[in-house]
Amino acid sequence: MKRVQELLAEIGLEPERVEMFNMSAAMAATFVEAATEMNQRIENLGPNPLRVPQTAGKGA
Amino acid sequence: MIVGEQKPLDEIKGLIGDAENVLVMGCGTCVTVCFAGGAREAATVATSLRMSTKLDGAPKQITEATVQRQCEWEYLEEVSAAVEGADAVVSLGCGVGVQAIAEKFTDAWVVPGLNTSFMGIPVEQGVWEERCAACGECVLGITAGICPIARCSKSLLNGPCGGSEDGHCEVDPETPCAWQLIHDRLNHMDRLEVLMNPQPPKNWKASRDGGPRRIVRDDLRRAAEQEE
Repeated sequence: MKRVQELLAEIGLEPERVEMFNMSAAMAATFVEAATEMNQRIENLGPNPLRVPQTAGKGA
Repeated sequence: MIVGEQKPLDEIKGLIGDAENVLVMGCGTCVTVCFAGGAREAATVATSLRMSTKLDGAPKQITEATVQRQCEWEYLEEVSAAVEGADAVVSLGCGVGVQAIAEKFTDAWVVPGLNTSFMGIPVEQGVWEERCAACGECVLGITAGICPIARCSKSLLNGPCGGSEDGHCEVDPETPCAWQLIHDRLNHMDRLEVLMNPQPPKNWKASRDGGPRRIVRDDLRRAAEQEE
């Protein structure tokens, strides 16, 4: 995961767009917490700039 | 194996400059097994370049190919069309591979995507160490199979020097003293008497000091001529 984050940074994307959370299938609360955190983080970062033109095209 | 390390993406982008069609070429031999320039790494570099140049607002056409060995012209035949159709080739082979491409394809602009580091071995997962300096006159037969040319910071033939401390090198405390290793191994083999024969100055002409090296094997050349 660290390598992927380094690659993203090299490419010019925010490395925090990806992260791995370890948990068991029984840890529902932890899963929700992680999903919420990632959702909040991505909302703050905004859309992936590499996908923006396609998204705009679809909406038009 | 030849061990290399990938150059930073920004450096590779600088090397390819304004080339529009770029071929990233991996090599299936040494740099594949040291995870620096095989098919997988070629795919990663190609994808990274695609994404990065798009983010820069000047997307390039990036393709990728991997040959078994970049250092032999015969293997490069299969990518002739791809090379000739590219404005620039990023070679993820060692320095030999880069030059083989340049020699084979006289009109190709080829740049290195790796820094060729050394000839060495993986000592643990993700760690490689230098073992051979290609000095041209191997001394391993008198040093218990441990190379003082590659592994002693001073390439001493009659070591150790005064900087050997607790079995480690003064240049880097994490580097084992090659001569300590040689002594310990000879002692283990009960062959310490080998060290009683001081070695004369080495003929460095067989190494890089004699200029670019060349080996000619007449037996093989004649065999090739006969085949023709």
